[in-house]
Amino acid sequence: MNEDIPRASSVSSASSHPAPRSSSPASSVKSEEPPTKKRRLSPKGAQQARFTSKYLGSFLIGNAWSTVRGSGYVKPGDEILVERDQPETSTTKKTQTANQKKSGGAKKQLSIATMLKAQPPKFAKKKEDTVVRLTNKRGFEFGRLPQDVASWVSRLIDLDIVDFHGSTVIDCPLTLRSGVDLIVSLSIHIKASAFKPPSTSAKEKPPATFNEGQETEAEQILRERKSALLNLFKNLDLKPNRGTSITQKVPGKLDQNDLEMLTQRPGAQKGKKAVKTEIVGDGEEIQVEGADDELSENQLNLIYKKAQQNDQSLGEMNPAETFTLTLRGYQKQALLWMHSIETGAASAREEHSMHPLWKEYIFPPEPGEGLIDLTSDDMAFYFNEYSGELSLDFPKAVRNTRGGILACVYTVSFVGMGKTIMLSALIQTARGPEEPSKEGDSNGRSKARQLKLNSAFRTSSRKQVGQTKGPSATLIVAPTSLLSQWSEELQRSSASGTLKVLVWHGQNRQDLEAAFEGDNAVDVVITSYGTLVSEHAKLERASSSASSIAESFIGVILDEAHHCKSRQSKTARAVYALNARRRWAATGTPIVNRLEDLYSLLKFLNFTPWSNYTFFRSFITVPFLARDPKAVEAVQIILESILLRREKNMRDTDGRKIVELPPKEVTIEKLEFSPLERKIYDSFYTNAKRDFDQLNAKGLVSRNYTHILAMLMRLRRAVLHPNLVLTSDEGSSKETSTGVIDVNDLIERFSKGEGTDGDTNVFAEKVLANLGEEADMECPICFDVMSEPVIIPNCMHQSCKDCIVAFIETCRDKGEEGRCPTCLRGPVKESELIEVVREADTKASGSTTPTQSTVTLRRNDFRSSTKIDALLQNLRRLRDQDPCFRAVVFSQFTSFLDLIQVALERERLAWYRFDGSMDIKRRNEAVTEFKSTSREPKVLIISLKAGGVGLNLTNANHVFMMDCWWNAATENQAVDRVHRIGQEKPVYVKQFIISDTIEGRILQIQKRKTAIVKEAFRGKGSGTDPESVENLKIMFGEGNDS
Amino acid sequence: MALPKRIIKETERLVADPAPGISAAPHEDNLRYFDVTIQGPDGSPFQNGVFRLELFLPEEYPMSPPKVRFLTKIYHPNIDKLGRICLDILKDKWSPALQIRTVLLSIQALLSAPNPDDPLATDVAKHYKEDEKDAQRVSREWTEKYASA
Repeated sequence: MNEDIPRASSVSSASSHPAPRSSSPASSVKSEEPPTKKRRLSPKGAQQARFTSKYLGSFLIGNAWSTVRGSGYVKPGDEILVERDQPETSTTKKTQTANQKKSGGAKKQLSIATMLKAQPPKFAKKKEDTVVRLTNKRGFEFGRLPQDVASWVSRLIDLDIVDFHGSTVIDCPLTLRSGVDLIVSLSIHIKASAFKPPSTSAKEKPPATFNEGQETEAEQILRERKSALLNLFKNLDLKPNRGTSITQKVPGKLDQNDLEMLTQRPGAQKGKKAVKTEIVGDGEEIQVEGADDELSENQLNLIYKKAQQNDQSLGEMNPAETFTLTLRGYQKQALLWMHSIETGAASAREEHSMHPLWKEYIFPPEPGEGLIDLTSDDMAFYFNEYSGELSLDFPKAVRNTRGGILACVYTVSFVGMGKTIMLSALIQTARGPEEPSKEGDSNGRSKARQLKLNSAFRTSSRKQVGQTKGPSATLIVAPTSLLSQWSEELQRSSASGTLKVLVWHGQNRQDLEAAFEGDNAVDVVITSYGTLVSEHAKLERASSSASSIAESFIGVILDEAHHCKSRQSKTARAVYALNARRRWAATGTPIVNRLEDLYSLLKFLNFTPWSNYTFFRSFITVPFLARDPKAVEAVQIILESILLRREKNMRDTDGRKIVELPPKEVTIEKLEFSPLERKIYDSFYTNAKRDFDQLNAKGLVSRNYTHILAMLMRLRRAVLHPNLVLTSDEGSSKETSTGVIDVNDLIERFSKGEGTDGDTNVFAEKVLANLGEEADMECPICFDVMSEPVIIPNCMHQSCKDCIVAFIETCRDKGEEGRCPTCLRGPVKESELIEVVREADTKASGSTTPTQSTVTLRRNDFRSSTKIDALLQNLRRLRDQDPCFRAVVFSQFTSFLDLIQVALERERLAWYRFDGSMDIKRRNEAVTEFKSTSREPKVLIISLKAGGVGLNLTNANHVFMMDCWWNAATENQAVDRVHRIGQEKPVYVKQFIISDTIEGRILQIQKRKTAIVKEAFRGKGSGTDPESVENLKIMFGEGNDS
Repeated sequence: MALPKRIIKETERLVADPAPGISAAPHEDNLRYFDVTIQGPDGSPFQNGVFRLELFLPEEYPMSPPKVRFLTKIYHPNIDKLGRICLDILKDKWSPALQIRTVLLSIQALLSAPNPDDPLATDVAKHYKEDEKDAQRVSREWTEKYASA
């Protein structure tokens, strides 16, 4: 009950209350600084002066209650006043139609203002007082509003939004008793002052001191205002006349279950994300991968739902004539959409031009005679459900951004949707310089950039000329690995010579300025995020003309735009600083794992007001954390206007799938360890499990999360190849030494008589000297041409490696020592065998340069593993079926790739490698060579992380996944390098799983619930989430492995 | 189980380029099973005899030696009544580099040079040791009796 709150106004309580908005803006502290962005959202009302308050409706309150005893206070039908105490009373009173004024109102207001300045921080701590009093016309309080109503009505009064003149008592007993129910009808009039823009919220704080966790005073006022108004509208049963309604059932609308599901998720991502560069020992992969997880597919789908609902009805547009490829229907739609956005034409998707967050309401007719209303027509007003703002002016949709997010997506399966092609079409279709005049007036931020530019190019006079002409080139920023692909695709899709493309990357970047000059001016500059960052840094360091990236572009396209999702990263800052009017972000994951991921893109797109971090945070992040469905709806609305999302399974207007891809067949091949591998693995597993059980018993699992993850990592490696877990000095030293033996050394050794008898020496010399030529010698064991010849060191007899190894094993099984099959000389050990590695072109060059140049000898220190053997077996089979097959092999572990590479080498398969440690040039070469046509089989081995995205490898149709990742999505994404547009053959995917190992459990977890897995194995090092612990228990549990 | 390439190759070569005095042909229904004949080497008590043998390549061949047995009765210290042969390369001295041809040649050589110090048929060995002439006579008799073409 509120009775204990003193009625008399007290200075102290007044001082610490929020600043009630005064009707005169000049006296308000806050309204002195209406930020530029704000203006756009709440247009200034020209109509504001035309009334002081306007009837909005009335509603009944059946359970107001009396505070007095006796009769004669009120009777049914009496007009009543609705009042608030304390500081609020003053402002309320001023606008009441009644003439009762409490003394000291004005004075108090002064003190409020002054006090506020002095000590605003105390505000939040003050307990709210929500008492709303009912008084009769004589000023006697006789009752109060019930708490549930008073809670928001009080805010409306405090914030000076409404008055209640014309409110009446509907029914009450003749004699009042304290606590008796009163039925009152509140008549709501909205005040003109309410339509002034709320004076807060968009104030941008310096990022250095920004405290993410704190809701500012301003934000709180806005939030209260919004919720009070929403309550009011609900009680008045006011429905929006038009607007992007979220209160009506529309196809894209979330139903209650969806909302619950979305908001249920805590989403509490405190602190900074694990940045990609974080490398912590064994935990490396997990940590890095952790940045890749996302909201569950379902959740994302819900968020995207609305953005896609109208897509089917989009029109189509044909690309410019220079575009040489044929666009699919959905690509033409995308082109129209993008083009109309770029040219500033009315959005192809927006049906109305009202600002998407606003809704139009019609003032209901005033009961009785209209006193104040001067307009005879229906008068409309506008309400922003997200900010709580009210306006009398039509809020126009403002798109100062010429761009959007092109999300070629991937929910069921990540697939290349040809966004490169779409964007190429766009570049070619919307060419020619744009008149620079518009640049200036767009907004303050752009001006700032302009200034910086001018100073940056002060020394260059030619530049000025260039600038007045207006920029005409498009900048594409893409991950390093995709630069050449972009370049190729652009060339491929344009009539030759019509599109000049410059890949601007690496050490010898040419001067961009020059590239823009003359007839041969480039149309498209392709660069990497890294280059962009370093150029941006140069620019920031010295405001000289050191950097040419500050060049103006007509458009910027970010490929894989989630690269700049962290708004404070250097990449993001560099991207924001780019100067271009048309901005596109292409990404498969606009929201990677939290709603704030979207912010960075919005900032890049300069999509006001959401590009203001405080604003975004107030209306998206904070409500989302508070599980307010409005947050999700707001995101939907944002996305609706800037996101074009395409996924493989979407259907076009005719109901056909927009993309027809050849079938994909995924098989899991279960393998059994060799006894030795089993022994090694089991010992690791036992250790890990013991550790885990101990920690678990002590309840320390979550504290040692990283340690456990490292153990898991080791187990996952042990499954692949024992060498990957052996101690480094044992495993790696062997691995790193190439084991190459100089042929001449051997020959010398023998000619010096180090061998046994003379005959052998002669023979050995002959063998060694002829190694280069005798490429097709027969193995004495299998009688076939030696596939992987090895030399037995003592006698120099040769054999296939497999054959001799098998024989040595047979001998060992019988308790004998290995011996040479030809001369029975022994002992022969597997590791002493010398491999003869012939270059692929042996036959061609053999005659001219016989020995050394074409043959290398290498110690047989390579041990295969079950998985590698399985891979080789599959590849051999493939080779038999299709002598020029193309296969792609993925693994998460580059160290495993090293081993696979050796195995392929031994198998004499042409292999190419693509991993994160290679520089861009070598990566490009690898891909280009892999793609080049030839009649021999080719294998590309890729690290899952480096090659999981972006690459287009449709020339292959066999995929081998050597290991499994925690979430299937990452794997699917990798497979979609191959299974994507352009693929003409069926795609065969094979995943190797060793039974009865951790891999089976990973698959179990994968199936169990993708979202949880992603959450649990985020690898932030803080596994406090009980789910993660649960998952770990599964990993080490007794559950049967499949 | 498909026949390993090695066995096919060996068979082809045995047929195309047979060793002198030796023939070997696989059974049609079991390509690992060979009918073998060996002519008794000149200058030995087995001269002019044609001895039939059977040879079987086990699953593990060539990691394990082939199994060979005389079908024709023979009086030889290293070959027992059942036709089993005592020859090191068919046992511990086997090497996968050996093949059917070399095995059969070795057996042929064994006929020329019986080794009574490492006997299988102990009575024959004893006979050879005590009275080589007489033993050779018996061998010749047996050859005439059982191994004449």
